[in-house]
Amino acid sequence: MIGLVLYLLVGVGLLVILWVLARRERAPVEGCGRQFVEARQALRTLQLGLLPDNLIKRIFDREDFRYVMAMSPGEIGELFLQERKRISLMWLRRVRCEIRNLMQFHLNYSRLHAKLSLLTEIRLALDFTLLLLACRALRMLLYMRGPYGAGAMVGVLTAAAGRVCASSEKSLAFLNPPALESIRRDSAGDGATI
Amino acid sequence: MSAPAKHVDVLAAADDLRRRTLAGMAQPLERLIYLASTRDYNTGLYYHHGLALRFSEEAACEALADCHREAFEELVDASLEQLVHELGAYLESTRVAPNDFIVAWKGLEPYRVAIPVGIDSLSSELVFSNLKVALAILEARLTARTKPGASRHPSPVQ
Repeated sequence: MIGLVLYLLVGVGLLVILWVLARRERAPVEGCGRQFVEARQALRTLQLGLLPDNLIKRIFDREDFRYVMAMSPGEIGELFLQERKRISLMWLRRVRCEIRNLMQFHLNYSRLHAKLSLLTEIRLALDFTLLLLACRALRMLLYMRGPYGAGAMVGVLTAAAGRVCASSEKSLAFLNPPALESIRRDSAGDGATI
Repeated sequence: MSAPAKHVDVLAAADDLRRRTLAGMAQPLERLIYLASTRDYNTGLYYHHGLALRFSEEAACEALADCHREAFEELVDASLEQLVHELGAYLESTRVAPNDFIVAWKGLEPYRVAIPVGIDSLSSELVFSNLKVALAILEARLTARTKPGASRHPSPVQ
């Protein structure tokens, strides 16, 4: 009797595992195009909106701090530091969000369109990990020491983000207009391939 | 009109705009406010009568939008010191009483509706934040100037 119950339990367990495996989400093929475009958008936002040198320099520029402290160190100095902290945290939140978007894309879909070497994949995984850790560390530094006490960490973060952007750029290069043009040239006269 | 010809027309209109109308406005802030005022709140389209007559309404609209973006980008790149200077110069050019100007700008924050379309929210927040601090600095200078015997701070417009 005990043996029968055990066999039944094992059978039910196997059925449950089968059901869970059958219900597991797969990368929807029809959603891939959207994912590519979203990843491309995340990359563009990072490259053009969040990581340009001039913007980072402006947000974390010590000259502004020195100027305000020389002109009006009291309440206005406090207002300035408060504002810069808010802006730098906003910048960090946006960078982190776009990095996560790119990471999600690489996790789910890069295998569908790019044959990355193991070394490249390991390097990318390390960069993403470093980036997310740097984001956390920078957030803590910004809260504790303000926008002018985290210069080195900003440098680490932007360098790692630059590397990830360069790798993602390669993966998404086929979405660039010149690539589309070459496909169009290779396709039949009516452009049916695209 | 073909696309390249239209593009040439927009470039010519923008060049004309820079050489004539905008030539008298040295500060990007002044240009930003002026160019924003040529934009229809309901349609988001820019209109400049003279430019539209000389070129076309479409070309004028695109040229105004280009110059608007250009002025905004200059503001993003400006240091806080430059911004205080620009705000002071703009205040002077309006010929409004400085206190009234500061009260209106602090209360209404008119610069929030003066930014071009399609600008990244972080850049616009940075400019708003810098303008807020610049206004506070100008206000402090004015207060110091109006206080008898207080001459530590220079005049609002340097």
